[in-house]
Amino acid sequence: MSALELTTALTHAIYVLVFLLVLPRTLRQFTPAHFDMTLFFGVVALIILESRIMPLLGVAPPAWVSDMVIVLFISLPYLLLRLVDDFTRVPAVILRLVELGLLAFAVVTVAIDARPSAFVTLGIVAYVALVSLYCAVRIIRAAHRALGVTRRRLEAVSLGTILLGADLLAMGLMAFLIEPERTMVDGFTQLLALGSAVAYYVGFAPPLVLRRAWQAPELRALLTRAAQLPRLPTTLDIVRELEAGAAASTGSNARIGLWHEDDLVLRMWEPGTDELVEVKAGQFIAGRAFERQAVVYSGDPQKDDPENAARYRAAGVGAVLAAPITAGGRRLGVLVLFAARPPIFAVSDRELAQLLADQAAVILESRALIDHAARVKAQEEATRMKEDFVSAAAHDLKTPLTTVVAQAEFLERKALRDPSAPPDVPGLRRIVRESKRLAALVTDLLDASRLEQGRLVGEREPVDLGALVSEVVARQHPGAHVCEVDVRGAVVGTYDRRRIEQLVQNLVENAKKYSPDSARVRLAVWQQDGEARITVRDEGIGIPASDLPTIFERFARASNVDDRKFHGMGLGLYICRGIAEEHGGRIWAESELGKGTTFHVALPLREGRRLN
Amino acid sequence: MMELWAGHGAAEERGLERPLRTGKGGERAVARVLVVDDDPSILDTVSSILTSEGYQVMSAAGGEEALALSRTWHPTLVLLDMRMPVMDGWAVARAFRESGSRVPIVVMTAAENAARWADEIGAAGHLAKPFALDELIDCVARHTVDEKPN
Repeated sequence: MSALELTTALTHAIYVLVFLLVLPRTLRQFTPAHFDMTLFFGVVALIILESRIMPLLGVAPPAWVSDMVIVLFISLPYLLLRLVDDFTRVPAVILRLVELGLLAFAVVTVAIDARPSAFVTLGIVAYVALVSLYCAVRIIRAAHRALGVTRRRLEAVSLGTILLGADLLAMGLMAFLIEPERTMVDGFTQLLALGSAVAYYVGFAPPLVLRRAWQAPELRALLTRAAQLPRLPTTLDIVRELEAGAAASTGSNARIGLWHEDDLVLRMWEPGTDELVEVKAGQFIAGRAFERQAVVYSGDPQKDDPENAARYRAAGVGAVLAAPITAGGRRLGVLVLFAARPPIFAVSDRELAQLLADQAAVILESRALIDHAARVKAQEEATRMKEDFVSAAAHDLKTPLTTVVAQAEFLERKALRDPSAPPDVPGLRRIVRESKRLAALVTDLLDASRLEQGRLVGEREPVDLGALVSEVVARQHPGAHVCEVDVRGAVVGTYDRRRIEQLVQNLVENAKKYSPDSARVRLAVWQQDGEARITVRDEGIGIPASDLPTIFERFARASNVDDRKFHGMGLGLYICRGIAEEHGGRIWAESELGKGTTFHVALPLREGRRLN
Repeated sequence: MMELWAGHGAAEERGLERPLRTGKGGERAVARVLVVDDDPSILDTVSSILTSEGYQVMSAAGGEEALALSRTWHPTLVLLDMRMPVMDGWAVARAFRESGSRVPIVVMTAAENAARWADEIGAAGHLAKPFALDELIDCVARHTVDEKPN
């Protein structure tokens, strides 16, 4: 047997092998893609069979057999085109044209008894070459779009197609050649045929080893990221990453539906519209996979799930592969892989889909545990905060109470011992002062509690802020501080008068508290961009920049404030912010250490308008 | 000043009856109470109560002031608030001990862990704010037992 003969035999063997591998798959699972694949390799096998059997029988094939072989030969590019159409849409007009061409050449071949004219042969060669080229281009483009294993397989198929096209072209051209070039070209065509056979084998029926090798890089990439995924900021981020990973690994689109135990629905972003949809167990292919806890594949969801045919059509989903995401008996959701057309290699994706779903289950379960731990921690923190609050409140209440209790009892005893003695005025003053301090503390605590329930602000009425600010300042005890008020025009809005007064008073007292005795406190009221604005500017100790974002929080104190030097629980600014925000406004501060602080308040001029 | 303190401590160690005596003719001295608190109302109230009970009382609004006073005035008992700005109760107690003074200290605080804090600084006792009149009077009397006020 010559090398050439060996090549031919090998080529034939591989083509028949591919047919034998593809056929049972088609019988097991009938899809247009599988059918066309089988048809293509079946025709190739038939041609090979004819070329092998006839010499074996030692008879010249009858004319109709030769004609049939030629027709089958010409039909190969068309069958390839059908296969291409199965996984990437081929325009109908091209399909029809190729069909017409096939029909025309078939008729010519059968009708003409004698050897076809050079003209016809050239036509056939051109036809075959053009269609093969077109197929190869389409497959290359599909391969470019695809990812992972699918990409590698499509690359192999496109290579096989190019080689087959070149082979068919060379064989056609052989008719125009004479020896010895003919033999040379024949050897060349045999090599092309062998190349295409190997490429098709790799593409259409790759051995498991090869498939695993192709999957490895994608899976490795996914697993490398897997460790970090549970730590992403939100579960949604994790879902998006898993979807991207699954899409890359399978060369399709991917969605993850998360099971919500409370509502008994899977929530996922609908393919096509990208709207959040709720899917019940058993509904859609996804719901079926979830209900059955098994991988479900549909190469024709419109037929398999007729109830939702319109949805699949609208979303352009022509094939669905769904796998349940389940961790240790806990049903977490479902992984859905989908494509516009049935994936040409769907079967090998089943296993992979389940693997990806399992990986997702581990990651989502880790996330759930992390979230749970965070919730427990947050609860503990909240409890601790509450205890701290009670403890801080108790401490701050006890200080004035100490004076009130001891001083009152002392006065009582003195009065009982010596009823005629003159009253102890300084002692009485202490009781009055500390009682007022107690009352103010209790009011602040109650306000803080109301604020937490969002009902700090009550009845509203039209308020002239300029007049209000001037009144608050006029009510201040005449002290060493100089308060200046600058009212620029009438600023009238609908507010809870008492609360706005409290807000301004708190800011003024705050300004006085944290600035030296001779310092000025300047207030301004004006209107700007449809907002009422109030500023309180002091020449005090200032607030460190790092503390500015948190000074309005409960119990917050700037770090340069010694909490034992200045009385108060750190509730003043917290209440101020509550008043501003419940009015739909905002409050913020600017400060320079040692130079002073300016508090800004912006309130909407019309009720119900919320500021940004 | 330091020698004075040391002398005072040494006298105590020798187990002598309180060496601090004032006046002539062996008359027992009046106990001197130093009240340290950053809250002026508490300071004034406690001072006026103890004064009326016959003690000599000095008040200090902070740790530095308390230490300065002690150097010249040698209190018999210190009532010490723990949470104070600049120098807190712990720092004040440490400064007293480092200067050699063994004057008994009574912790006076509104915090819940008054007893533990008293323990921490080796105080003679504690008064939890708010305290009743008799609690204050009894506590001071107990810790100045050798020098009953006249």
